[in-house]
Amino acid sequence: MIPLTLPNFTDHLKASIGYVLPEVTLVAAACLLFLLACVRGGRAVSFVIALLGVASAGTVAWFVPEGVVPRAGEAAANAFNPAFAPIDPTGAASFIRWMALVAAAVYVFLGWTDCKTAPPEYYACWLVVAAGLSLVGRSNDLVTLFLSLEMVSIPTYVLLYLPAVGKTGQESAMKYFMLSVLSSAVLLFGFSYLYGITGSTNLHAIIAALTRTGTTDGSQPLLAVVGGVMVLGGLGFRVAAVPFHFYAPDVYEAGPTGVVGQLAFVPKVAGFVALARLFGLLSAHTPQLGLPFGVENSLLPLSMWVIAVITMSFGNLLAIIQDNLKRLMAYSGIAHTGYMLIGVLVASATPGEGVARSGMDAVLFYLAAYGLMTVGVFAVISHVENPDRPVESVDDLAGLGRTHPWAAAAMAVFLFSLIGLPLTAGFVGKFNLFVAAFEVPTDTKMRNMYQILTVVAVVNAAISAVYYLRALGVMFLRAPLKPATPGRGLPQLAVAVVCALATVVFGCWPQPLLALTSKAAPVPTPAPIAYVTSTK
Amino acid sequence: MDSLYDNLFAPGTLRVLLMVVMFAPLGFAALVALTGERFRAARRLSGLFAALHLMLTIFLVAVAAMYSASHTHASNDTFCPIAVPGDSGEGTAIAGGSQEHRTSWNLFMVGKPDPKVPSVPPAVQFFVGLDGLNMWLILLASIMTYVAVSLSWHSAREKAGGYYAWVFVLQTAVTGAFASFDVILFYVFFELTLIPTFFLIGGWGVGGGKRDAARKFFLYTLFGSLFSLIGLIGIVYTNPTFSSGQLSGEVKDLQMPLRRGPVSFSINQLIFNTYNWRQVLDGRAALAQASAEQRAAEVEQKRQQNAADLSAFQKLADEALLQSKTAAAERDRHSAVQGWLFFALIAGFVVKTPLVPFHTWLPAAYAEAPTPVTMLLSAVLAKLGTLGLLRIVIPLCPDMAVQYGLPVFGTLGAIGIVYAAFCAFNQKDVKLMAAYSSVSHLGLLVLGMFALNSEGLTGATLHMVNHGLSAGATFALLAVLHDRYGTTDMTQLGGLWSRHTKFAFFLILISLAAVGLPGTNNFITEMLLIGGLFKPWAFGTVGYWLAIAAASGILLSAWYTFTMLRNVLFGNLKIPTALPDGAKTGDLTGRELWALLLPTLGCVVLGVYPQPVLDSMRHDVATIEKVVNAARMRVNPTLAELEKTQPPADEPDGVHH
Repeated sequence: MIPLTLPNFTDHLKASIGYVLPEVTLVAAACLLFLLACVRGGRAVSFVIALLGVASAGTVAWFVPEGVVPRAGEAAANAFNPAFAPIDPTGAASFIRWMALVAAAVYVFLGWTDCKTAPPEYYACWLVVAAGLSLVGRSNDLVTLFLSLEMVSIPTYVLLYLPAVGKTGQESAMKYFMLSVLSSAVLLFGFSYLYGITGSTNLHAIIAALTRTGTTDGSQPLLAVVGGVMVLGGLGFRVAAVPFHFYAPDVYEAGPTGVVGQLAFVPKVAGFVALARLFGLLSAHTPQLGLPFGVENSLLPLSMWVIAVITMSFGNLLAIIQDNLKRLMAYSGIAHTGYMLIGVLVASATPGEGVARSGMDAVLFYLAAYGLMTVGVFAVISHVENPDRPVESVDDLAGLGRTHPWAAAAMAVFLFSLIGLPLTAGFVGKFNLFVAAFEVPTDTKMRNMYQILTVVAVVNAAISAVYYLRALGVMFLRAPLKPATPGRGLPQLAVAVVCALATVVFGCWPQPLLALTSKAAPVPTPAPIAYVTSTK
Repeated sequence: MDSLYDNLFAPGTLRVLLMVVMFAPLGFAALVALTGERFRAARRLSGLFAALHLMLTIFLVAVAAMYSASHTHASNDTFCPIAVPGDSGEGTAIAGGSQEHRTSWNLFMVGKPDPKVPSVPPAVQFFVGLDGLNMWLILLASIMTYVAVSLSWHSAREKAGGYYAWVFVLQTAVTGAFASFDVILFYVFFELTLIPTFFLIGGWGVGGGKRDAARKFFLYTLFGSLFSLIGLIGIVYTNPTFSSGQLSGEVKDLQMPLRRGPVSFSINQLIFNTYNWRQVLDGRAALAQASAEQRAAEVEQKRQQNAADLSAFQKLADEALLQSKTAAAERDRHSAVQGWLFFALIAGFVVKTPLVPFHTWLPAAYAEAPTPVTMLLSAVLAKLGTLGLLRIVIPLCPDMAVQYGLPVFGTLGAIGIVYAAFCAFNQKDVKLMAAYSSVSHLGLLVLGMFALNSEGLTGATLHMVNHGLSAGATFALLAVLHDRYGTTDMTQLGGLWSRHTKFAFFLILISLAAVGLPGTNNFITEMLLIGGLFKPWAFGTVGYWLAIAAASGILLSAWYTFTMLRNVLFGNLKIPTALPDGAKTGDLTGRELWALLLPTLGCVVLGVYPQPVLDSMRHDVATIEKVVNAARMRVNPTLAELEKTQPPADEPDGVHH
């Protein structure tokens, strides 16, 4: 029997507090910084404290064991069942945590110039965002999941507003705030449906219940579909999928560069991971249950297919006509969301025989690669721009190869990686997604639509080369428009160079990262569904 | 002495040498880049490096050619690459030994290894080697890089270090692509050629539209090759190794379960895999159909006997019919998928070659690039497309190549021959004329290749080298001209014979080679290519018309080439009034003479005595031919019947000149 209601909820909460110690450390460091703000902390002090906070969180994460978690079946007899705990440290949780910690460290460097107005508050918000991102990867309950997502969103409003100078900056902060709140509301509305149908806020229980109803009478209750669509809409905003993408270009254009660099990456990771967890694609416990919104029992994958096609095509076609560099990056980010949806779609199909990847591992790899190149691009922009030489349009990059050779070389690596040229992480990411799409058996309901999707993706990748190449050409093949000014922040340059090196290293030798992602999202081996037969 | 000989020719030495030949240019690039703006230093250093590289490559290719020509291979089921780094086989290269012709160097795994099939790791591998198809191309790349470095005078004036560095990076990329036996590795190097070419055209180009030309080149090629990537992944994943049953050769047991084993990216393994899938699916469908027919006959027999247990037999017959339909559907689905994948796969290569009508990037890129880079584009980079066709497309999609090769791509090649020849005739700029001439000749190459017989395939393989030498030498001469007058426009030049006698000598000689005069290299391969068209299997009439188009292309090529000679060399002296700054004067310098001598000698030697080269290619051409012949039998069963009753008298096994 599945305990659909959990009387021992607090027991479970208490038991799982050990799984969030690094996040607690991050938030504690953030609190320290907020307190410091009352006594007017300087930039260097805040920088060091933030970095120390990340480092200590990393130390905690490294040394405090996650503990051996019995699988759902084995522990069913025990009072404590990890599958029903609100925090679930299995599956991709650890991978997401390390991604969040690395990202936090990187963003501390990236925010060096942006944080001038209020350094302690700025860095404190960063740390909370990172903690939120890490928690998204291990939330196993609608409540904790929503709270983690809000931990990513709410500090971002502050971050967008803090360094905002002038009307456009404030407008973009307001725009993001309004639309983000709206999307949260939609998401919450979807959650309420899921809770209403299943009577539980626990993801494992929800998935079990939805799968059971789906398998007994062959069709899904309409309310579940409504809930699924709402979730897709709410999270679609975070990953910037068309048609929930409208905020992205405006916010990117006017927001402070460092914050935009975060906005382009962190909500995407959070959105994809949350989506995967809600749909049962990314947890060590759920594969045994089957998929609540799988290809065989739901039309949601088909709608995701359509969204993927529209997202990548819209993103790329609109990016071509952009002159503003940050708007261009916004549309580029939208297009990359489209590529990553391929992996989510693949994961929503039952794997065939001898398949080596689940689809979500390709998404996780792509997220890491995308993070490296996008954050790198914003690091370069942040390094190069200054009040005398703003970097707004693509043409402002003219002659960067001569004036800032290192930054330009790093930028070239990022752009080639975004195109997907070999020897960059971007290529391996795309290759993985395509391979995953070709591994899906073609005798499902979707037939060979996955393979068709790769063709659409390939056409889009070629289209995307048009605008990335334009930026490259401007940087290296044109003379500088203005005399060279020294780069502003060395920390940003460091970020750019490190990201570029990582992009090339993971492009040439992706094996370590591939091993991590395939461990984080292994191929599910669906066992005979014990729950269904026992409750009949 | 004996031990020195052994050491020198040991496989280990050759493996190391191949790695050096592939990656040394990257080191050269880094060193040359350090010279920065200093033109003389960069030029001297890179000349030295290129000459050094050329010597190493000549040694490597000479040994490999000796091995390939002398060694009798056990079977010609697959390509036989030697000097494969990571090959666990021992023995000297000359004596053959026990080389396995496969590597153990995995780049990254795409799946879990299958304990039943330990020899096929599901990994993208660093699988490079030398065989008959690529060794001469690698030598060609080394020669042409040397020529390009020697003749880059005016074009490399600014930022010389960067220019030469990109040329060397290009050499590594193109050599790597030639040497690859792993499809993804091939793709990686294939795409990497875009980056140096983009910067060379965009940064050092000669025309006003150089940036657009660079982008156009990049985008066109990328667009095509991304489809090729999908095609490659598709071929690999729809043709995994069998987990049970034989790894190689024919799968005989049609009843065995179709267990999908590890995927493989190795071209050799893929040749087996595609062949096996085809055989098994075809065989199963035939078996199931025969069984269904037998059951149906039984039912009919029982019905006539008015047997009581008719319904039981009917049931069996229905089951057999269903099985037969399933097997046929499975076969049809597989072959339909392979059909789509063939067109995806070929896209990148026909753009790169280029085949008309996918050539529209070419005039801009060839015209705007610095002339030595145009030379590399035409002589070396275009061969990536044709080698891709020979090495990947035809062996991995043989059925489709038989069905659509000559009718679709052969016809496009024939159209290209004539169309590009007329375009070439119409050009005022000699550089553009040579560019279109290159398209025309490569059309002939593709056309002859898709005849898919011994003559055509041998001709195509050798013509890649021959075209590289003659087209490369033509552009090299244009680079010489450009360094003197800053233009290659025929309306501004004339009567140069009187001013540059040595130059005129080379131009005439190379022009004769380009039009395929007997005694020059192109004569032999063009005859082979056209000869192949007169012996096309099962496509007789199409073949003759295509052969006529091909022959007319040669005629046209003589027409526009000699017209160009008349305009540029003869008549009254005509030179541009305003010469560019720092232009050279006088006849060929010593450095230019040496650079031109190499490809010219190649043209003559290959025209007079090509047999050693042909010998070294024989095995690997026979491999392609074997794969294609098997496909031909499948596609056209009557041909198989014919073959059984009357074996052809002249079993094609390489060409005896």
